Amino acid sequence: MDDLKKKQIKSFLQQAEVYQSQGLLKEAKEKYIRAGQLLKKNKLLIKNKNLLNIISKKLRALNQKIELVENEPASVELPQQVQKIIKEKFSFSKDADAAGLEGAIALAKFGQFEAALREFDQLIEKDTIRIEAAKNIIRCHMALDSINDALARYKEWASGVFFTSDQLSKLRTFFQGILDSKGIDTILPEMEPTAPVTDTTLPQIKELTVPSRPELPDEPEIEEEDIIDISSVGITVDEGPKKGEIVEYDVSFQAGNVINFLISSDDEAFVETLRIGLIMDDVQFYSPIAMFSGKAVVSSKSKIESGPKQGYYSLDIKITSI
Amino acid sequence: MANINLKTREIECKIVYYGPGRCGKTTNLEYIFKTFRKQAIGEMVSANTEGDRTLFFDFLPMGIGKIRGYDVRLQLYTVPGQVKYSATRKMVLREVDGVVFVADSLKIRREKNLLSLKDLHQNLKEYGLDIRRLPLVMQHNKRDLAKQGLPLMSVKQMDRDLNRQLKVPSFPGSAINGEGVGQTLKACIKLTLQSMRKQMGW
Repeated sequence: MDDLKKKQIKSFLQQAEVYQSQGLLKEAKEKYIRAGQLLKKNKLLIKNKNLLNIISKKLRALNQKIELVENEPASVELPQQVQKIIKEKFSFSKDADAAGLEGAIALAKFGQFEAALREFDQLIEKDTIRIEAAKNIIRCHMALDSINDALARYKEWASGVFFTSDQLSKLRTFFQGILDSKGIDTILPEMEPTAPVTDTTLPQIKELTVPSRPELPDEPEIEEEDIIDISSVGITVDEGPKKGEIVEYDVSFQAGNVINFLISSDDEAFVETLRIGLIMDDVQFYSPIAMFSGKAVVSSKSKIESGPKQGYYSLDIKITSI
Repeated sequence: MANINLKTREIECKIVYYGPGRCGKTTNLEYIFKTFRKQAIGEMVSANTEGDRTLFFDFLPMGIGKIRGYDVRLQLYTVPGQVKYSATRKMVLREVDGVVFVADSLKIRREKNLLSLKDLHQNLKEYGLDIRRLPLVMQHNKRDLAKQGLPLMSVKQMDRDLNRQLKVPSFPGSAINGEGVGQTLKACIKLTLQSMRKQMGW
C-alpha cells in the first residue's frame, strides 16, 4: 500500500515535469498539486523531508509562468518580413487597388497599426479607394488612441485640394460621427460643397429602416456594398448580466458587413454571453447619417494581449440583415 | 480554391495546420522545413511570443513540381492554438485549400482536441466551407510520450472521438522526431490536388 502511494507521488511528479516541458503549464500545475496533497497525507512515507518545499517552489514558479503567458505582451510591431507576408498573403482581390486595401486592413487587424497607416498613406493616392483609405487612416489613429493625429490629418486634407468637397463632406460626416460617439467635444469645420452631396454608394435611409424579416436562416446574405459606415452599435441580448439592456459600443473597424468593436475586460461576464455564433436579433446600428436596426451574428472574439487596449476583448460581428 | 495564375503558370495551394494549443503544429512545420529544404522556396517565418507560443501564424512556402505545365506552390500555415486567438485563426483559414488537424494524444488534452475541431468546423462554416468536403487529414501527435510513462489515448479512441463521422485519413505521429510528419503532409497534398483537379475539370 505504502509502495503504491510512493509510486503515485513519483508518477505525478514525473508527469508534471513532462507536461511543463511540453508547455502544458496548467496540466503540470495540477499534477504538482496532486503530488503535494498525497504527500501531505503520507508524510511519514517519504525520506526526503524537503520534498514538499520543493513542490511548493515549483508551483510558485509555475504560477509565475502561467501569469506571464496569460498576460504576455505580444511584440506589437512584428518584423517587416512578417508584415510583408500579412500584407501580401491576406489580400485576396484580383484588383490591385482593392487587394492593396485588403492587405492594409489585414495589417490593422493583426494590430500592426503603424504599418497599416504607412500603407493607407500610399493608398490614399489611388482615386478609387481614396475615401476608404482616408477613413481607415482615421480608424487606425483612433485604435492607437492618437486622436490629435487623426484631427491633424483631417485638417490637412480639409485645407488641401487632394479631396473634392463631396469627398471631404463624407469624411467629415464619418469622422464627426466617431468623435461624437466617443464623447469628444470637437466640431469639425463644415465643408462648403461645390455641388450637392450625393453619395451613390449609400443606400437610402428609407431602405435601412425596413423591418427585418423574422426568420434569419432564410434571409439571403446581404451584399457588402449594401452596408454603410457604422460608427457604433447598440446590442441587446436575451441572456446574461445585461439581459434586455441596450449596450453601446464604438466601432473600431469595419470591413464590408463585418464590424469590429472592443469591450472592456470589466464586462467579462457580458463578453461571455456573446459567444461565437450567437445570433442577435435586435442590434441598433448607428451611422453618421442614420440609425437603423437589424440582425447580426458574433463571428469572432479574442482578447487583446498587448498595446493600449490590452485586456479588452475584440469582437467581430457580421451584419446579417438591416 | 487554389489560386491559379495563367500568366506565370503557377498554382498556389494553401494548407493550414490546425489544432489545440501546444499540440505540435509548429513542430510539424519546423520538421518539414528541416527535412524538405530543397522544396522550400523561402524561409519559414514565425511570429512567436516569448513563451514560444504561436502568436499569429507560421508560414512556409514550398514548391512541389509541375502539373500540366503549371508550377505547383504550397503555402503551409499554422494557426495559433490558444483559445484567445480565435480571430487570427479565422483570418488564417481564409481561402484554405487543405487542412491538417493535429490532435494531441495526451489523455488530458482530449477535450481540447474536441473543442479545436469544433472551432475549425465553425470557422470553415463561416467561410461557406464544409468540413466534410474540404481536403482534411488528421495526425495523432505525441505518440512518443508513451515511452515517458504519460497516459495517452489509443489511436482507436482518438479516431472514435474525432474521426468517427469525418472518416478522413489519420496518422499517428511524433512531430518532434519527424514520425508521421511527411506521411501526413503527403496525404493532405494528395487530397488537395485531387480536389483542385476536380474543380478545374482536369
